[in-house]
Amino acid sequence: MNVGAAVRAIISFLIFVVLHYTLRPLLGWRAPMDFLILALLLAAVRVRPATAAVIGFVLGLISDSLAPDALGAGAIAMTVVGFGASYLKAVFFADNLVLNAFFFFLGKWVFDILYFIGEQRVHGFELLQQLLLWSPLSAAVTAAVGVLLLFIMRPLLEPTPT
Amino acid sequence: MARAIRSNTRLDLIVLTICIVLALAARALPNTMRDPVATGIRRTFLAPLVMLQERSERGRQSLLLADFKQASIDSLSLNSMKAGSLESENDRLRKIIGLGSRLRWGFIPTEALHGRGVRDETTVILSAGSRAGVSRLSPVIAPEGLVGVVDQVDPTMSHAMLWTHPDFRVSAMSPDGTAFGIAQAHLTGSATGGYLIELRGVPFRATLKPGALIVSSGWGGVWPRGIPIGTVLEEMKTSEGWARTYLLRPAVNPADVYSVMILRRDRLAKGFDGVWQNVAQVDQATQRIIVSGDSAARAAALAEGAARRAVLDSVARSNGGVPLGVTDSAKAPAVVAPVVRRPPVDTAAARARRDSAGRDTIRRDSVRTDTIPHRPGAAR
Repeated sequence: MNVGAAVRAIISFLIFVVLHYTLRPLLGWRAPMDFLILALLLAAVRVRPATAAVIGFVLGLISDSLAPDALGAGAIAMTVVGFGASYLKAVFFADNLVLNAFFFFLGKWVFDILYFIGEQRVHGFELLQQLLLWSPLSAAVTAAVGVLLLFIMRPLLEPTPT
Repeated sequence: MARAIRSNTRLDLIVLTICIVLALAARALPNTMRDPVATGIRRTFLAPLVMLQERSERGRQSLLLADFKQASIDSLSLNSMKAGSLESENDRLRKIIGLGSRLRWGFIPTEALHGRGVRDETTVILSAGSRAGVSRLSPVIAPEGLVGVVDQVDPTMSHAMLWTHPDFRVSAMSPDGTAFGIAQAHLTGSATGGYLIELRGVPFRATLKPGALIVSSGWGGVWPRGIPIGTVLEEMKTSEGWARTYLLRPAVNPADVYSVMILRRDRLAKGFDGVWQNVAQVDQATQRIIVSGDSAARAAALAEGAARRAVLDSVARSNGGVPLGVTDSAKAPAVVAPVVRRPPVDTAAARARRDSAGRDTIRRDSVRTDTIPHRPGAAR
């Protein structure tokens, strides 16, 4: 990845992070989209798994700071998701919108599963409801928004022809 | 090549393990250490994002409350629009209640329903009928005065002819009984003609000044004596040489008639002495209170001014100067400006002002002699 592509990737990453803290609270949906996961996945497929794990760890820790009781849970989940996304990028991140959507959906759902289990705040039926109802819904919304943003930001995300 | 890949993979796994261990460590931190770490991150890396999030949430709250706020604003606007009409309605109802308390008995309060369009107010429907005691030719009055007369009666409602009707006539007079005539609507076809009254047939020897009140005379058996009809605007020029005709401003505007009273026939025989006179007396009393208040304030102001002048004179005399009140130019130095006394204006207003100013309380001579000690050799 050359410098231009890296700069564009960083800008895209920052746009997603800003959207997470502006658009998401503005909409306030019950099953919200997760722009941090989208940012992590888009970064992870462009870097090595180790780097993706570090990005996931830092991003998770930062997001956890807003909920100190769950500090570390988001970091674990994002580390795993980032590493996994980077490791499996050859499989998933093809130039296919449906595959991308599935990639986003899976990343968000796995994150939620790891996060809620690691957070240990929700138990029993409520946890099941969260993981089997609200998390898939949130993952679906995240996937839809991710595909839409990929479509919109294609000039920024496409690799520079060499 | 394969060795490098294996090495990289091992490095990736090592980094992954380190990250997970660190995350687990963060998860396992006690609350006393967890909070400072989270606070530190919030106040450094996350501070601008937290600020953005706060603004977004505030924006969301504003959006959610927008409908409620708009509804509140609409309600307030609607209430403020109604306030004016409610005030005028309250005023009308107070007057009606006041008239009712003066009449005491023999009246039927009712609503006047205007059925037709603007500029066609010659009749109204009244919401009281024969069951309430209304009979044909019952007078309809408002607190301000004469409104009309009932010409048709149904069990639950009645139909009244307003004074604007072309067939309406009422015998009228000046309150002192010096001028009599017949009042009827002034029908000229002009824009304002329908809202004025003509007083016809006034004897030529009787003159009425503009502003004079005209009331019903009680002749004819329909209208009791003393109900205000209107006030004289001007004399009209007519071809009749034996009588005068006056144009009256009506006491009641038919467009503003909503709550009225129907007088029962048995009440008419008992007279209406003092019913409308009380209103005039209250007005006169109010005017007297206002005038006396003005006079008292004016007297107090003049007294205060005189006292100030007296003090200044005393100070001037004690300093060897000439008091301000001294008007003898031969004795006074040129630098001291003499008090200019305005020539008396002999108008009615000035006389009234002088009368009400309290001549007893402010006398320049007495003030001067009481407060300024006489010095030998000084000009008096």
